[in-house]
Amino acid sequence: MRNVAVLLTFTRQDLIDRYSGSVLGGAWSLLMPLVNILIFTLVFSEIMGARLSMAGMQQSEYNYSLYLVSAMLAWNCFSATVTRTTTIFQDKAGIIAKVSISLRTLPLYLLLSESTIYVISMVFFLGFIVLIDFPLSWSLLALPVVFVIQQVIAYGLGLIFATFSVFLRDIRELVDIVFKVWFWLTPIVYVADIIPDHWAGVLAYNPVTPFVDAYRDMVLLHQLPSLQFLVVTTTVAGVTLALALFITQRLQQDIRDFI
Amino acid sequence: MIQVEQLTKSFKLYPQPSDRIKELFLRRPFHTRHRVLNDISFTVADGEALGILGRNGAGKSTLLKLLTGVLVPDSGQVALSGKVTALLELGTGFDMNQTGLQNIVINGLLIGMTPAEIEAVRDQVIEFSELGSYIHEPLRTYSSGMVMRLAFAIAIHANPDVFIIDEALSVGDGHFQQKCMRRIRQFRAGGGSILFVSHDLNAVKMLCDRAIVLDQGNLVVDDEPEVAVNAYNQILGAGDDLDDTSETRDKGYGSFEAKIEAVELIGQDSRADIVTSGETATLSVHMQGHQDVGEMTLGIMIRDRFGQDIFGTNTHHMGQSLAIEQGENKRFDFHFPMHLAPGKYTVTVAAHEGMDHTRHCYHWWDNAVSFEVAGIRGAPFGGVCNLQPTFTETCAQD
Repeated sequence: MRNVAVLLTFTRQDLIDRYSGSVLGGAWSLLMPLVNILIFTLVFSEIMGARLSMAGMQQSEYNYSLYLVSAMLAWNCFSATVTRTTTIFQDKAGIIAKVSISLRTLPLYLLLSESTIYVISMVFFLGFIVLIDFPLSWSLLALPVVFVIQQVIAYGLGLIFATFSVFLRDIRELVDIVFKVWFWLTPIVYVADIIPDHWAGVLAYNPVTPFVDAYRDMVLLHQLPSLQFLVVTTTVAGVTLALALFITQRLQQDIRDFI
Repeated sequence: MIQVEQLTKSFKLYPQPSDRIKELFLRRPFHTRHRVLNDISFTVADGEALGILGRNGAGKSTLLKLLTGVLVPDSGQVALSGKVTALLELGTGFDMNQTGLQNIVINGLLIGMTPAEIEAVRDQVIEFSELGSYIHEPLRTYSSGMVMRLAFAIAIHANPDVFIIDEALSVGDGHFQQKCMRRIRQFRAGGGSILFVSHDLNAVKMLCDRAIVLDQGNLVVDDEPEVAVNAYNQILGAGDDLDDTSETRDKGYGSFEAKIEAVELIGQDSRADIVTSGETATLSVHMQGHQDVGEMTLGIMIRDRFGQDIFGTNTHHMGQSLAIEQGENKRFDFHFPMHLAPGKYTVTVAAHEGMDHTRHCYHWWDNAVSFEVAGIRGAPFGGVCNLQPTFTETCAQD
């Protein structure tokens, strides 16, 4: 009960209170994703005139925008959750060293905060889709499931990196770089077809690619994610989470001693 | 109720933090162990106040962190009934950009209060902190004293069952400190336990029922505050094993290059150790040199029947330089008007090098002599001492 209250307070602090004193306040944390969506939709559809045709997708001048944003929002959320969780123990050292707080629960507020930003961005995005008269389908109802699986993996990875980065500071820089590279190794801004054959293998082994495809299937092609996808990713999420919790448990005493 | 059983804690020291990860994967030790606490056991009953004394690095902070659950012990157990709040958590999680009110919630949650409890005491906290309308301003606009007052007010209203008070209590002005002390006494009267960690020996004697002394991770004394404080002083001065000096405890301890043979206090008029308040008294210290001591300071501390320090000084502070040769017998006299309130007092005498006894202590003798102040010469007064006020009256005229 108290833990929940602490998490909610931290989340609130992260989303709203850090803008206290500014005129727009909490609106600032919405502004960033909104601007992102606007830039990518307008710049690529209006100015660059990018056109995209996917099999089974209804034609629209905003096709590329939809293609980009549906994957980008999820990636941003995933990437931010992992990278921010990686540094959590150092960032909150002042609290960990002074009060007894669960090392597993603490990062949950980042998960909450980043997920909230995603949800709000998605609301804007769906609004945009309705606005341009692009059809929506029931397959969108599966989106929260995919998103939850994604975020469980993000939390697990973040927790593992966070634990190790207490002892090896380089991990935080390393994670930053890995995520920058990872972004471009994932078909988010480009279409997988344009990749030369000898690079195609990389995309095939990139575990984020199936997620990106799943989001696009739901939003653009009105298809549900495959059962195989759900089973595999749920397993991966479970294993990551179990591993993360095990490592944190094992090294808990050392983390507290070091901080 | 606090029950600590055979608590042991050591830190693994790694040449580099990253060696911890190497160790994990290579499965071969890279660390050396540094034991900070060794087999500590004690209990604190409900409504009891326990003082914890020890030099820096003796393991006090580690002990407190084990009690609050911030650190995990190697072995041993801590059993606490109820909620623990530690004043060492003062201001944890304070966000300088947020208002006092918002910080009450953040800090309150972190030190273990539920949202409902915070809501219930919020007005009391604001009143206690004396911040008034500043409570709606961001913390960065506060003075450091105001931040501390707010932190205190929250901690003190957390209504724990066990209260851990750190050195932190010495922050704030006299008025606020007294308010805190009153509140702490109330808390204790209500059946709460207190752990009090301080270097302020007087405060330990005043507040605690019992005290423990930690030395190099071991619990060396668990006794009345008076006894514990003296033992702690002994550790400060000698740094030696307590057992070695136990036989000489009555007549003090030290390296005895110069030894205090006898101490007496005599009133100028009474010619006895019962003096009247206001009478001039002479404290005579008879010393013998066992070696040539070229630079010596002689210090005294008068304590009341509660063991509270009343007045102390030494020849270093008085600008005197003393010396004694081997085989030489000397008498040193302190003369002072005894402006103390009636009551029984003891005098602790020490001969040491430099301005205090921590560098090199020749001889420290607790309660070397006792005396009594009976009756008052001149106008009666209240309190512990006579400040000999004068009085004038002035008519304010425009």
